Parts: sequence; structure tokens; C-alpha cells
Amino acid sequence: MQPAATPRPHERLQRRVVLYWLLADGLSSLVVSALAWFVGRPLLAKYWEAWSPTWENVLLGACLGLVALAVLTPPLAYARWRFGFLGDLLLMRYGILFVEERAVPVRRMQHVDLVRGPIERLFGLATLVVFTAGNEGSAFRVPGLAASRAQELRDFIVEARGDGRL
Amino acid sequence: MTDDSEPPAGGAPDPASGTAAPVTAPRAVVVLAKGHLHPAVLLLRLLDALRQAAFPVLLGAVFQPWFLVLAAVLFLLQLGYAVARYLTLEYTLTADELRVREGILERQERRIPLDRIQDLGFESTILRRALGLVVVMVETASGRGVEARLDALSRADADHLREVLLAARRDRTSAPASAADGEHAAAASPPPPEPEWIVHRSTSGELLLRGVTDLRLSAFVVTGFAALQLADQLGIATRMLGIAGDFQQWLGRLSPVVLVLLLASLLLSVIAFGVVTATIGNLVQFHGFTLALRGQVLQRRFGLLTTRQKTLPRARIQRVTVEQPWLRRLLGFAVVKADSAGGSRQQGEDTSGGWDVVVPLTRLAAADALLPALIPGIEQQAFGWQRGSRRLILRTALQGVVLAALAVPAFWAAWGPWALLALVLVPVWALLGVLAWQNLGFALGGPFLALRHGIVGRYLAYVPTAKVQAVVVRQSPFAQLLGLADLTVYVAGGSPTRLPDLTLGDAKRLALEIAEHAAVAAAADW
Repeated sequence: MQPAATPRPHERLQRRVVLYWLLADGLSSLVVSALAWFVGRPLLAKYWEAWSPTWENVLLGACLGLVALAVLTPPLAYARWRFGFLGDLLLMRYGILFVEERAVPVRRMQHVDLVRGPIERLFGLATLVVFTAGNEGSAFRVPGLAASRAQELRDFIVEARGDGRL
Repeated sequence: MTDDSEPPAGGAPDPASGTAAPVTAPRAVVVLAKGHLHPAVLLLRLLDALRQAAFPVLLGAVFQPWFLVLAAVLFLLQLGYAVARYLTLEYTLTADELRVREGILERQERRIPLDRIQDLGFESTILRRALGLVVVMVETASGRGVEARLDALSRADADHLREVLLAARRDRTSAPASAADGEHAAAASPPPPEPEWIVHRSTSGELLLRGVTDLRLSAFVVTGFAALQLADQLGIATRMLGIAGDFQQWLGRLSPVVLVLLLASLLLSVIAFGVVTATIGNLVQFHGFTLALRGQVLQRRFGLLTTRQKTLPRARIQRVTVEQPWLRRLLGFAVVKADSAGGSRQQGEDTSGGWDVVVPLTRLAAADALLPALIPGIEQQAFGWQRGSRRLILRTALQGVVLAALAVPAFWAAWGPWALLALVLVPVWALLGVLAWQNLGFALGGPFLALRHGIVGRYLAYVPTAKVQAVVVRQSPFAQLLGLADLTVYVAGGSPTRLPDLTLGDAKRLALEIAEHAAVAAAADW
């Protein structure tokens, strides 16, 4: 595997995005597995004739797996995420199992959104969403930006697109 | 009040544009065409309403008389709605936009800027054709497909609308907006139509071959399933099971040779039935297919019962594909398709009505020869085809190994040593890998990206790099192990173009090159 001589984006996301992901995504899987274990298990044991210790182990494994996944993914995703501008191109690199590298010409972007959810706001984070024309795969997201940095990026894109000079 | 007597190619300029011409205000609204639906539409709606009323009337006559009242009310409502719609719908074409106004209680005015109009399609069912009517469909790049549907105009009105629209758009693109205001007065009357160049005309032989080679197994499955469901609903299924049991016993008494022959002939007759229906379908759909070029606009005309006309400005083409499924490849024939912004389809699938088909079927050489008519400039490019990585074969073989490793233990319990048959997956997958590698190729020729892929069939795609919206390099876990990567190129229309199994270095280099091309082109557009 020869080292690629192509430039790579190198800006990272905010470190606290890991905590945010843990909270936002991890919490839901925690709730789901807790429900499955503490509510689902007794119910199943009571009303399902085929219930056996094997099934209990399967359920336990699934719940633990779900929690482990929720705990493990945020740091891994954070470690891989890079973005940056190369001239007129917005580059992104991310993914845990499947690694993706995207390049979007700034002038092909149809519009730019800044999204800040309630928990995101708590962490002072923002997500930049850019849309290109087309139906499939036309939205590109950069999560975990500091709010000020996200605004800077948005302004940079708007500037580069030339929307300012109306 | 449509003027049916008007000649098709817009001989007499619209009276409205004549009066508007001397106005010198900077934003004078020049009405280029204006009109209503054709009155014969009312006849169509009447027939529709009658057809829909037939069932309630039947019910009323047989069971409950009050169904008759219901039918009458429905009928009147429908007819009233049709009349009101006919009376209120009005379209106006100005130099900037197409306006469609309609509505009785809530008025609605739809304004479509000319720049945004992607396509103007005409469709005419046999009944409409007898009445001289055309359904006009206005498509934009929104991805929703048809934005406005005028059902129906007289053929003359529709032709006039198209001529004027094309002319207006030509003016807009050729003259800068600020300088053009003065000249608009002169340009308002439709200029003489440009000469038409027939790029391709399908022969009946080609269409026949298209039908014969239109082997779609999925169609059999779908029809089979539908037939089964119908049989189930009619309560035939259980009776059929009984028959099937008898049949099985009868079959058991036959000698194996006769049995095989019987099954083979049954299979053949099913295939023959599929081929015959596909052939008839293709002949009817694409009868008299003509691809013509007028100025910068491609026009397709086809259809036996329902005639269709579709314009496609060359500048809007996002991708051209030359497709050869295995049977057609064997015979040396190909289908040419073009994606424009707004349309969306999967690989190898026709959208309904064959909208994206540019050439239904032709010899591969002929298909290659007419590419410059679709994407001009491609004839000047020498494509230096590059191969994908040989590690692709390794990757598919490894996938085969994994599959076999999963399948053998899974089947062992039930079948014993017979489960080892699953090991066949390894060489089969390796063979698929070899075939895929042989067909895989890519080339960057100036402003075009060319891609070739396939396993038994072969698919060629040409994407103007100027149209590229985004480029993605993707590595699956397997690919990371082998240093491979997929490159996906997104354009505004159609499905993304994917180049699988390049080496990581190639993929990244190509991605960056394409993206930079696109960025430069985008900067020039701005």
C-alpha cells in the first residue's frame, strides 16, 4: 500500500463532542437495553413458554453489546474525524468501520445550514450541514464544531460562494 | 378559447406580445404565449366520469337503488370540477417564467422560472391523439419530477409553447440579461425553428431485438407471485394443491427422461411467454423512436399507442451510460441512456415510460458514434483506460471464503458432509472477481470521466466532470485490509456513479483531480 501523496484535511472536531455523542446517542441505547432487561425480561419469562436461560443469556449479550457499542463508538468516531478546506474544496474524512473521504466544491453547495440541538447547545456545539444539488447523498454534515467555528465556516462558505456580493 | 387554427411552428406571433413590444420600461413583462386547456378535455373528463360512474350504477341497478343517487351526485361533482378547472386554468409564458394559474375556491398560481425548467415532455394517449390533444409536462430539477402538468392542450398550442420556450431560453443564455432588454421586443416573436438533425432512428429490427433480449427474471417472479395471490383470493389455491398432489403422483409414474423433457418444455414456454410479452411491450412503447438534435436541444419522439415527445437540453445532461446486459453484449448491442437533473433511477432500470432512454437499442459501434451528439467534445478526448487493482480478485475470493466458512458449519448439522459443497462458493466468487476485474476500467479524459464495469454484462458511463457535485472515497473493512477503495461520483441527476476497487492511491488521486475539475467548472458557472 503506497502512501497517498494527496493532501489530507487535518482540522479535528471539538473534544467534548465525545461526551455529547455519549449522552445523545449512548443514552438512548442505555434506556433501550435497561427497558429490555428490567421490563422485557420478566414479561417474557412470564408469558413466553419457550423462555429458557439460553434466551436470557442472548438477551443479556444483546443488551451489553448495545451498551458497549454506544460507549465505544464516540471516541472512535472522534479519532477518525478530520475536515478542512483545500482551496475551493471542503474535505471530510470520517468513519469507524467504513472510512469515507468526501470532497465537495464550495461553489456546488446549494445552501448551508447550522444546526444546534438542545443538548448540542448545552455543550456549545453546532453541526454544519451543506447541501448540493441532486437527490441521493446530497447532504453533508460536519458535527461537533464549536459554535463560533461553525459560524466562521459558514461565513467562509458563503463568502467563497460569492453570495455576499449581491 | 384556444386558437386551434394557429400553425404548429408558431407562424403568427401572439397578439399579446405584439402590443407589449413597444413598452420601454426596464422590466416589461413580455407575454410570449398564453392559453387555456383545449375544450375537448371536457369530453375526456366526461368519459372518465362515466367510466367511474359505471360501477355504482351497476350496483344501484342490481342491489340498492340509492347507489344510483350516489352515482349521479359523484358524476355531477366530477363533471363540475372538470368544467371549473377547464374554465379557470390559464398558462402564461413570459420571457422569464412560465405561470400556471388554476383553482376555483383556492386560487393557485405556480411560477416556474425558465432557467429552472429542465424538460418539457409531451405525452398523448391514443384517445387524446384522436382528439388532437397533448399532455404537456414541465419538469424541474427539484427531484420531484413533473412540476406542472397541463392536461391537455391542442397539439398546435403545445408545439407553439415549446418553440417559444426554447427560443426564450436560447435568448437568455446567449444575451446577458442587462443588455437583452432592448432586443427582447424583436426576440419576442418566435424565431424560425432551427434545422433538425436526426441523430438516430430506431429500426423495427432493433426494437424487436430489444424486446427479445429483454429478459427480466424479476418480471417472472412478480407475475408469478401476483398470479399466486389472485389464485389464493379466488380460493383456487387449495383446489390447485389437490390437483398438484395428483399431478405429483402422475409425474412420479413417468420415466425420468420424460419428466426432464416436460419440465424443460414448461420452463421454455414460460420464457417464451415472457419474451413475447416483452417484445410486444417494447414495440408498442418505442415504436418509431427518433432522436433528433435541434440547436442545443435533443428531442425524442416515440410510442405507438401513447406517443411521447421529450426534449432534453444537451447542457443539462449529467451522465450518459451505454448499457450492455449479458445477452445484448453477446450480440454486440447496447442501450444508451442519459440522466438529467431531476430524474432518478437505479442502475439498469428503466424509469416508467422510458424517459431516460436515448437510444433503445443499437450496435455498440453506432452507440459510440452518436455519443458526441449527446456530450459534444467527447470525440476529441483520447481516453487512456486504466485498470482497477488486481487485489479485487483477492477481495472477492476472500468474501467467498468467509461465506463458505459460514455456510459449511451452518449446513453441516442438517446435511452432514454434503455441506462441504458450499466450498464451491470460493472458486465461484474468485471467478466473479476475475470477470469484474476484466470489465473494470476508468479514464479521465479532459473534462470527462469515463467508467466501465460489469461482470457478465458491461456498463459504460461518461460523466462530464463539470457536473460533479461531490466526490466520495470509501473503504470497507475488507478494503482497508487490502488497500482498496471505492470512488463514488455524485451528479445532480440519477444515481451516483461508483468505481469499485481502485487502489487507495489511485482513488484519492482521481477523487482530488475530479473535485478540482468540478471546482474550476463551478467557479466558471458562477
